[in-house]
Amino acid sequence: MSTTSQKHRDFVGEPMGDKHVTALSGIGVVLGKQLEDQGFDKAYVVLGQFLLLKKDTEMFSDWLKDVTGANSRQSGTCAQCLKEWCDAFL
Amino acid sequence: MSSLSSKSAQQLTDLLDDYGIKHGPVVDSTRSLYERKLKEVMAKGKKVKPSSDQTYYREEEEEVTYVYRTPVKSDGSGDSRSYLRSRPEWTAGEHETSYSSYPRSQPEYRGRSDANEPYMYDTPSTYRASYLKATPPKMVPEAPQTPKSSRLIPLWVQFVFFLAVAVFLYIVFSSMEMNEPLKGIK
Repeated sequence: MSTTSQKHRDFVGEPMGDKHVTALSGIGVVLGKQLEDQGFDKAYVVLGQFLLLKKDTEMFSDWLKDVTGANSRQSGTCAQCLKEWCDAFL
Repeated sequence: MSSLSSKSAQQLTDLLDDYGIKHGPVVDSTRSLYERKLKEVMAKGKKVKPSSDQTYYREEEEEVTYVYRTPVKSDGSGDSRSYLRSRPEWTAGEHETSYSSYPRSQPEYRGRSDANEPYMYDTPSTYRASYLKATPPKMVPEAPQTPKSSRLIPLWVQFVFFLAVAVFLYIVFSSMEMNEPLKGIK
């Protein structure tokens, strides 16, 4: 049994389509609002940012902390979630 | 110090490469992040140049070669010939013992494998003789220990630990010599 959350497994298990940014693992209501305000309203936009950062989880984690004020755990989870999604579908 | 925000995207890219920071394209959404990273690195001074990965690797290489050279230096007198002999044999990879996989990093592992090898195929008397010869040279390398490379565990601690392990193994092995007086096992 992996140590990932159900949210993580739900996201990584299928193409993200038009899922809202709060569908990302680690992104709750508060962080979701922050991202929306910046224009990142859909998960695929955040994916775009992740890809721009060359799928570097550390770099993406730093960016997320910068932009939303997320803590290490939240940003790390989100980065890992996106990385695994990319490994599966990209 | 010119402001990073006034630099062009190409200039930022060049700076990022100079500091060996792995990065993607410098666009609107990534620019502020890269500016911040560059600011941090520049504040740290030019210690990060060139790419830190290579420096780390080189250091590791240095460590390994230095460890190999040390016993050779101490054995220059021609003493403990069997010890010297067992070393090149081991580096050539002649014997298929599992201990040959040990020493890639730590000197204590290396020493351990060396102490165990004679045990594997030498007769007990030769082992003891070669081992006794090997123990004095261990004390010598502690003296010419001038180059201070950054280690997690100080070198003298590693040597002390190695000595403790060696002495322990010696006690264990010497106790195996006196098999006859062992009661109850017949």
